[in-house]
Amino acid sequence: MKEGIMKRRTLMRLLTVLGLAFLAAPSAWSAEPIHIAVSAPLTGNFAEYGQNWQKAINMAVEWINAAGGINGRPIEILYGDSKSDPKDSAALAQKFTSDSRIAAEIGDFSSTASMAAQPIYDRAGMVQLSPTTSHPMWAPGSPWSFGIVGTQAGEGPFMARYAIEKLGKKKIAVLHINNDWGIASKDYFIHAAKEMGAQILGVESYFETDKDFTAVLTKLRGLKPELIYVPSFYNEMALMSKQREKLGWTDAVVMGPGSLYSPKLLELGGSSVNGLYTSAVFFPNDPRPEVQKFVKGFEGKYKATPNMFAAVAYDAINLMAETIRKVGADRKAIRDELAKTKNFPGVTGKINFTERRDVIKDYRHLVVKNGQFTLFDK
Amino acid sequence: MLVPQLINGLTQGSLYALVAIGFVLIFGTMNLVTFAHGEVYMMGAFAGALAMTVWHLPWFVALAMGMAAAWVLGFLIEKIAFRPLRTAGHMPPLLITIGLSIILKDLAVILFGAENRPVPSIYEQTIRVAGIQISVLQIVILGVAAGLVVLLRLLIQGTKIGRAMRATAQDHEAAYAMGVNVHRVFSIAFALASCLGGAAGVMIGIYYNAVYPVMGAAAGLKGFAACIFGGLTSIPGAILGGIIIGVVENLTVQFLASGYRDVVAFLVMVIVLVLRPQGLLGRKLRTV
Repeated sequence: MKEGIMKRRTLMRLLTVLGLAFLAAPSAWSAEPIHIAVSAPLTGNFAEYGQNWQKAINMAVEWINAAGGINGRPIEILYGDSKSDPKDSAALAQKFTSDSRIAAEIGDFSSTASMAAQPIYDRAGMVQLSPTTSHPMWAPGSPWSFGIVGTQAGEGPFMARYAIEKLGKKKIAVLHINNDWGIASKDYFIHAAKEMGAQILGVESYFETDKDFTAVLTKLRGLKPELIYVPSFYNEMALMSKQREKLGWTDAVVMGPGSLYSPKLLELGGSSVNGLYTSAVFFPNDPRPEVQKFVKGFEGKYKATPNMFAAVAYDAINLMAETIRKVGADRKAIRDELAKTKNFPGVTGKINFTERRDVIKDYRHLVVKNGQFTLFDK
Repeated sequence: MLVPQLINGLTQGSLYALVAIGFVLIFGTMNLVTFAHGEVYMMGAFAGALAMTVWHLPWFVALAMGMAAAWVLGFLIEKIAFRPLRTAGHMPPLLITIGLSIILKDLAVILFGAENRPVPSIYEQTIRVAGIQISVLQIVILGVAAGLVVLLRLLIQGTKIGRAMRATAQDHEAAYAMGVNVHRVFSIAFALASCLGGAAGVMIGIYYNAVYPVMGAAAGLKGFAACIFGGLTSIPGAILGGIIIGVVENLTVQFLASGYRDVVAFLVMVIVLVLRPQGLLGRKLRTV
């Protein structure tokens, strides 16, 4: 009896799988598909980001295949759910690298998960192209690892140039969040700003749990800076801006890195964040045609504006497709060609890999005007 | 920048003082400590924030609603945690209030979410007095705190229930023997204390533009510290304690660094208590 149920179940499963295979197989293709693996958090804490990837990648693949695929061969994506957990991303790496159909891998989401899988891709000799891993030590860790989101080492100097060369502010005070990220972010900025001849009048920090910034703002105000650089997140920036407004401190410009770029900042900060300068890897209102094509397509398909996570995944799959188009689906050839990438026109800016196989990002200059993020053009 | 920092400290200190007075009222009349006071303050703050963001009511109505909500909550806490255990000693009510504080905190997370809830700004203008820019909101907050203290004093000194409270504070058995309804006094004292906490919560929400479920922990601790600092049973002592803690914190940020604010504030408190165990304005502790 039990065996009978088992058999029936197995049969059902087999039929389901076959049915799915028929549904999924693009009947028009005679050529063998090119398989690309994606290791992403499709469930768990970071599911929201993994699902953004999935939407963007599916759309890009649809477009590529509709235009004839890669030299006549369609792309087929094999998704693996890593939950962005280092255990799962490493297990997926084993699975993907031992599957000889797979040409290359895209993923994982977090630095921790990417780095846990890194030695496995390295040993097997398969490209691991991560859309979001930003740890400065990740891409240099293996010749097979590539990162396209940029690192703080690139963002700090970019923001310093924005402050000093674009806005002409040379007397700068810094107020940073007291954690690893905030300290690194502050250090890269200050180092670059000093080299550009800026004067750092003071550096203050706050803790993640702080809500009262009146005292520290009053102190910084006494230093009379022209610009305050604030590596922080949108929550604290919104509170800080409101409290600064109440203290009547309006004669200094406020700037912070791309961590502030969120609709939540505008919602929480209201009018007090007007005039705030920041940056973004991806800006949906960017008029460049490749960005508009992506945004329109995404909005049409999913009825939502794509965010940064969708944008970097879209760039990753397109870059991968472009590379395979040039050299074919050979794992080693893909790596060598990827490393030579020159001026790939991504929606998150031009992609040029450094010797460390990460990217010095070409950020967008943003400023908040009338409660909206707008491109700074001067 | 010294004067602006003093004003920042005074504003913050006046709100600590309101929380501290609550502890004094409860300890003074009932000889008990509550650890749910911070959460009553938080719930008051949420009531005020909801009044302003959902119903778009003016701030003083929100203040009244926050105070009313805290009053009701305080009244219930006294009924649940203290009334049935009047003769059980100090520990059981204390433990119950710790439990209630956790329940209230988690309830707030469930009801309102764990993230910051924004509170609209009021009085964003500043005025100049003798060349120094002062925030109008800070003056309003100081005014509210001072007004509430005056009202409290009128209540305690000038009304029948106030007199009953003072009598109970001195000796509740004697007061009971003289026909004072001690239960009613306890109940009102607790609700009144909660109400002041709720007022502080609403004002701090407006001041920092945010309310959030764990906001009560720091405020409860600072308020309790200010109450001990001032002498446990003295209302002027609690006010002084609150203001000193607030001012010391802000001056620490000015002259040291932001991270030291609590370190120095509590260090000052420890030193004062070592030198003067009864607190700044406290009576010599009686042995109970």
